[in-house]
Amino acid sequence: MTDSRRYPVLPNQPDAESEPHAGEPAREMHPEEIFARLQAQTRRHFLRGLSAGVGSMFLGVLVSQDTGSVKAAERNVDGSPRLDFTRDPSRPLAPLPPEFPARAKRIIYLHMAGAPSQLELFDYKPDLNKLNGQDCPASFLEGKRFAFITGVPKLLGAQYPFHQSGDSGQWLSDRLPNLEKHVDDLCIIRSMRTDQFNHAPAQLLVQTGNARLGYASLGSWVIYGLGTENQNLPGFIVLVSGGKQPDGGKQLWGSGFLPSVYQGVQCRSQGEPVLYLENPAGVSRALRRSELDTIDQINQQSHAEFGNPETITRIAQYEMAFRMQMEASDVFDIQKEPASTLAAYGCKPGQESFANNCLVARRLAERGVRIIQLYHWGWDSHGSSAKEALNVGFIDRCRETDQPVGALLSDLKQRGMLEDTLVVWGGEFGRTSMQENRGGAVNPYVGRDHNPNAFTIWMAGGGIKRGTSYGETDAMGYEVVKDPVEIRDLHATMLYVLGFNHHKLNYSFQGLDQKLTSVKPARVVAEVLA
Amino acid sequence: MTFSARELSTRTRLGLLTLAPILLVLLLVIFFPPDGLDRSQSAQFIGRFHLLAIHFPIVFILLVPILEIVGRSRRFPDLRPVIEFVMGLATVSASFAAILGWCLARSGGYSGALVSQHMWGGICVAATTWLAWVLRLADTEKRKRVYGIALAMMVSLVSFTGYRGGQLSQGEDHLTEYMPGPLRAVLGISNAVKPAAKTSTGANQATFYSTYIQPIFTAHCVGCHGPNKQKAKLRLDSYEELMRGASCGHVIRPGNPQGSELFERVTLPADNDDFMPADKKRPLSSSEVKLVELWISAGASGTMPANGIKNLPRPDTAVAEVSFHEIDSAAVAKERTALAGAVSQLQQRFPGILDYESRSSADLVVDASLWGAKFGDNELSEFAPVRERIVAADLTNTTITDRSASSIAAMKHLRKLSLMNDGVTDTTVQALRSLSELESLNLFHTAVSAAGLQAISGLPRLQRIYVHQTKISPDASIPVLLKDKISF
Repeated sequence: MTDSRRYPVLPNQPDAESEPHAGEPAREMHPEEIFARLQAQTRRHFLRGLSAGVGSMFLGVLVSQDTGSVKAAERNVDGSPRLDFTRDPSRPLAPLPPEFPARAKRIIYLHMAGAPSQLELFDYKPDLNKLNGQDCPASFLEGKRFAFITGVPKLLGAQYPFHQSGDSGQWLSDRLPNLEKHVDDLCIIRSMRTDQFNHAPAQLLVQTGNARLGYASLGSWVIYGLGTENQNLPGFIVLVSGGKQPDGGKQLWGSGFLPSVYQGVQCRSQGEPVLYLENPAGVSRALRRSELDTIDQINQQSHAEFGNPETITRIAQYEMAFRMQMEASDVFDIQKEPASTLAAYGCKPGQESFANNCLVARRLAERGVRIIQLYHWGWDSHGSSAKEALNVGFIDRCRETDQPVGALLSDLKQRGMLEDTLVVWGGEFGRTSMQENRGGAVNPYVGRDHNPNAFTIWMAGGGIKRGTSYGETDAMGYEVVKDPVEIRDLHATMLYVLGFNHHKLNYSFQGLDQKLTSVKPARVVAEVLA
Repeated sequence: MTFSARELSTRTRLGLLTLAPILLVLLLVIFFPPDGLDRSQSAQFIGRFHLLAIHFPIVFILLVPILEIVGRSRRFPDLRPVIEFVMGLATVSASFAAILGWCLARSGGYSGALVSQHMWGGICVAATTWLAWVLRLADTEKRKRVYGIALAMMVSLVSFTGYRGGQLSQGEDHLTEYMPGPLRAVLGISNAVKPAAKTSTGANQATFYSTYIQPIFTAHCVGCHGPNKQKAKLRLDSYEELMRGASCGHVIRPGNPQGSELFERVTLPADNDDFMPADKKRPLSSSEVKLVELWISAGASGTMPANGIKNLPRPDTAVAEVSFHEIDSAAVAKERTALAGAVSQLQQRFPGILDYESRSSADLVVDASLWGAKFGDNELSEFAPVRERIVAADLTNTTITDRSASSIAAMKHLRKLSLMNDGVTDTTVQALRSLSELESLNLFHTAVSAAGLQAISGLPRLQRIYVHQTKISPDASIPVLLKDKISF
């Protein structure tokens, strides 16, 4: 058998000598051999090849010009040209320019898992305070499902005093004194809505645009679309404050149907940022290198045989891990920061804490990491235990997060980074205007149940209007009455700030052009844009 | 040569037979001229084949002089007998195409100067071809001379008619639109846009109609309701024409927008057959519709001054809706061609530093922050070929010094500059005073002092300056113009 992949086989080859013998490895042809072959070609061969060649050229043109200059597969359903996100398989995270000039180039997302109470922090409802302790009106309960509330609960006024702050005069409670210093940089959206009232699906909806498992996360979409600047670090890094993992699990930063290289990488803020980042005792960096080289060779062979681009991606990931050994240990080492900075954040190096993570987030942002997500936990203030109570645990959560968030915003502002960083703070839903009465009985501590109908988030930084509030809830803070913002609207807005039309950042999977904003119409909330 | 009686009568019969469709089309255009009304779709369907069929007579007609000339040579005597046959085909196909053309024009709502010129041109082509064919059959000397003239007329008529047809389907300037500048100069074709149809409202006085309403029609409607095409006999290129109305009557009823055909058409659901602009052309925006409504309500006057209506809708850009524009990839590629070579060279040489700001522009962004100490003055100077397209430069953590001041100052369109942690001083900052588009300047942790800021205090677009960890303290004497823009 001849290996026909290396050179063209010409018909009616009279010169058998020039053919490699069966079993011999294919070799490059000598120019004289090529010449001999060409000489052996008769006019009939030429004409026969010509007609087929011209025919196929014509067909090729026909197919490629079928729908103008762009092939049908390169168009979206509405006929607009599809954006091309293909990259060299050996550099799957290579940066790509956004569709339009971007207002921000990275995101720091502070997810407060458990859903902090908007009524204790941002949504000031004096009328609710007046009705504190009265029976909840029946209209609030009809047709509603709650996680725990049964029967007729009592209305619950805000547990902490509110005041107007900053030049923008936005209402805040007294729980966030450090954030308050930046209130004129915040855009507070008080009219967020979701359709999920349990933590895991609600978190999935916030992070992946869908309440079910298997969808690509916000961060995956972002690095699929934009890649990342620093090829020595993952483009999408997740940090958890320690203690409890978010209920939505690692799917919150999963890549779903997108290639797996776009998933978030969860790093640890205590010990090695990535497990086994350091070489074990007795393994030198040179040994690691030669080990990797061997693995690469095997992978290359596998790729030559099967041609699966994921193999190349795998090689690229090994290489990045190798480079990360240097860069990641450095970027996660917050001891390199001056003591004044550590004090400003309230960091205690060596601990797993939200404060440490905030400082790491700034260091990652400085090194070109595209999307950094911090998960804090324990905001689920039902009032069923001291930890989860508005009058106990909630105070601690505010204290743990307020100082580092304030310090992070200060740092970003001083470094000029807030203008191209989008900072988002929020939970997965809101909390009820009623005190939770689990099983009809009064809870031992003060708390509220889940409320998907209204909650508050804030955004700050790149492309976002400073010192402004958007949306309104009713007098009880129970439902949105003006300018509702759905999760998909928030996503569309975030992608817009990064320079994308959310329809165009798409990926064909299971017969659908999948998008972060899914299939329901999403709206870029232009009112919150600078 | 003489013909037998039988032969002669066959030819005569054939000649008369082919004359019939020409006369038919003549009768059609005289008694049923294209009047700009839309008629039956089946007639339109047939009519659309005009564009296909028209190529047959063109080819046959142009083939005739070629065959005549080539046939004279001794090598191709066989061609000569073919000519008559080709001319016969030309005549029949020209008349047939003319009938199709009438179908299209009559039913597709065409009218206007271009259409009638094209139409009469087409009929003349058919007639001249028929005439030339008849003359060709005769063989007296005199007739042969006339034949030559008829042939020349035939070719020039077909060119003229074809050109008018091209203008109808491709736009009036379809031949000259992309003509290279030098050729344009030689031929004396100006770039100037034709003056718009004259408006009634006196020369200089800005009326509400000319300020707000006519531009809407010009943008959306005049393509089909203008000087060159008048579907439904409606023209919207001047106030008089608008008020004259369409074949169905007045389209504007002053004071009554709901009763005005024009207003009704633009406010129908977009999938309605009567919706305008038709054929999925870009519809009027909500503020444009509102303007038309206000104007009709206020009496649809052609002389009302521009400020005659208060509380106009804000233009759509100010409405809080984000609109996404399609990227014109051809235009972007064209804009990038001049620099593409230099850009890709620099991208090879300095991976990860230079890229386009977005997929929709040829503007460039430079980010050397991850290169750190490996990037300095020499490296930056290599970006000179592209520096005028650089709109953002992040030189954080590099070894840039004041030696790069002039390189940076030459990035004329720079909007955002970061010199964070760099070894630059007031000298560099002073050099930036020519960057009139600069919006954001990051001097975090540099040796810049308050004195340096004086030079850039007048920059018109400058919004933000970051001076944390510099010699500039909040109590330093900061130029007044910069007071609100500095972040300490």
